[in-house]
Amino acid sequence: MQAPGTASPLSAAQVGRLREEQGKVVTSCQEKIQHWRKVENDYEALQERLNTLPDKLSYDIMVPFGPLAFMPGKLVHTNEVTVLLGDNWFSKCSAKQAIGLVEHRKKHVRKALDDLQKVMKNFESRIEFTEDLQKMSDAAGDIVDIREEAENDGTETKGKRRTAHKPHSKPKVSDVFEVHFQENGMDTKSKGFSQSEEELWARLEELERREEMLGEFNRTPDTIEANGEDTTSSEEEKEDKTDLNVVNRVEDSTTQDNVQKEVTTSELFSGQVNGPSHYHSDDEDDLGVDHFVPTIFFFHTVEPKRVRINTGKNTTLKFSEKKEEAKRKRKNSNGNGHLVPELPNIKTPADIYRVFVDVVNGEYVPRKSILKSRSRENSVCSDTSESSAAEFDDRRGVLRSISYDEATYSDNSEGILEEGQEHLPKKLSTLSGTFEAFSGTVIEKEPLSPLIPHPSIAHPVLPTIPERKSEEVLSEASEETTKRISKFKAARMQQTN
Amino acid sequence: MSGREPRREEEGAKLHQKEELNRKIKEQKVVVDELSNLKKNRKVYKQQPNSNIFFLVDRTEMLSECKNTLDDLKRAHQEIENSEKTKIRK
Repeated sequence: MQAPGTASPLSAAQVGRLREEQGKVVTSCQEKIQHWRKVENDYEALQERLNTLPDKLSYDIMVPFGPLAFMPGKLVHTNEVTVLLGDNWFSKCSAKQAIGLVEHRKKHVRKALDDLQKVMKNFESRIEFTEDLQKMSDAAGDIVDIREEAENDGTETKGKRRTAHKPHSKPKVSDVFEVHFQENGMDTKSKGFSQSEEELWARLEELERREEMLGEFNRTPDTIEANGEDTTSSEEEKEDKTDLNVVNRVEDSTTQDNVQKEVTTSELFSGQVNGPSHYHSDDEDDLGVDHFVPTIFFFHTVEPKRVRINTGKNTTLKFSEKKEEAKRKRKNSNGNGHLVPELPNIKTPADIYRVFVDVVNGEYVPRKSILKSRSRENSVCSDTSESSAAEFDDRRGVLRSISYDEATYSDNSEGILEEGQEHLPKKLSTLSGTFEAFSGTVIEKEPLSPLIPHPSIAHPVLPTIPERKSEEVLSEASEETTKRISKFKAARMQQTN
Repeated sequence: MSGREPRREEEGAKLHQKEELNRKIKEQKVVVDELSNLKKNRKVYKQQPNSNIFFLVDRTEMLSECKNTLDDLKRAHQEIENSEKTKIRK
């Protein structure tokens, strides 16, 4: 037994300090709780607002520009809401979908609130205890914790010895029984295990089968076929634009001074001529509405259906399989699954990274955040050295898509692909021209016709396009002659077409 | 003995609450007065929480809404006062 003065491991000062720290934790918890409550209230107000927002075609509002200035204006397109998912990913959706997203976020907020409440309660009880301790140590030195080391060893061994002493005692018999049980247990376990093994094998075979199927898709030498598939799929999706367009516009919820960029990613593939023009007309329409806002449009090839899964080599199919299963289930359950099949419920950037995967050099690489720098090795462009700070983000996005596209092309080395590659540098150059002006649409990727790019973009860059094009053609032709048809042939073919 | 500290903290929290409530009541009174002293042709805009956007609202509707909130706050204030009085009596 220790002396009273030094009995507790904590001296009076230390106990006081402990009490202080615990008090600090409680107050910080309270502040956080207040903050989260405010956030929750804001989200609820937002939900209410989103609920009533589509009721009117347009609202009269005071439009903020700058922190202090306002201008009377109208809020239009009341059903189109662009939601920041985080990590600079935006999602254009309807008001109802936005409400769903807000609900999803409120769930997290409530969880945070609950956790904070628990922590606060915990620390409040600890505070009580430390205060008791404090008072005890203050009040008198006589009161001491009674401590006694438990000595159980002797009794336990005694008991064991007792059972061991009797040679013909029951415990031995019971041991025998236990052995039998174990044996039985092993059998059942092994049976169970074999059953689960069989299931595993069946599943593995299924996965392999699907991998083969999807692998054939990827390895088709003719991209036309693949394009044909994509045209059908993308045309279906075009009708349901809500999901596939990933837009970068902040609307009624929060508007900020300079962050009025519009980034639209839609599905494109080299073979589709109709697609981009269709989208382009939409963009032009949007441009007409938001004339005073600088807009940037990305066109991405996005194929969530395909083997865009980012896990290891052997587990490539897990995700697509899951998505296909989910898709099938939904198709079976309701015919109205137009939202569902393509983008299964994207609510966070993590969902985006899970669903969309880049293809770099024929391998599947998990899509990185656009804020993280990508290696420029695969990119075709020669503009990388010239990027200014303002253009950097856009260029990265461009490069990302280009590397993505180039990688898909590198999978199949055909004439058609090469002409796509030719177009990429042209697009880059057009983009660089656009970035200088920073007004008007920047179309990152056009499939075939050079007429499509926005007229305001074309001018400053045209002279350089043929040079670069020829450079690229030369450089790549020399590489490719050993492999397949030369690019010149492909270019000639294209020209004749 | 150990109950003293939590009680003090509770009272502190209650005072804090009361102050907050009083502040809100004053705010609402100001709002109601301002709304009722507007000319008829004036437009009233309501701010969307946590953002810089103001939506046009009907003046009379807004006035009645604010009056309702003021009444609610006053009622809450009354309840707190009553509960305190009962505690003091005890």
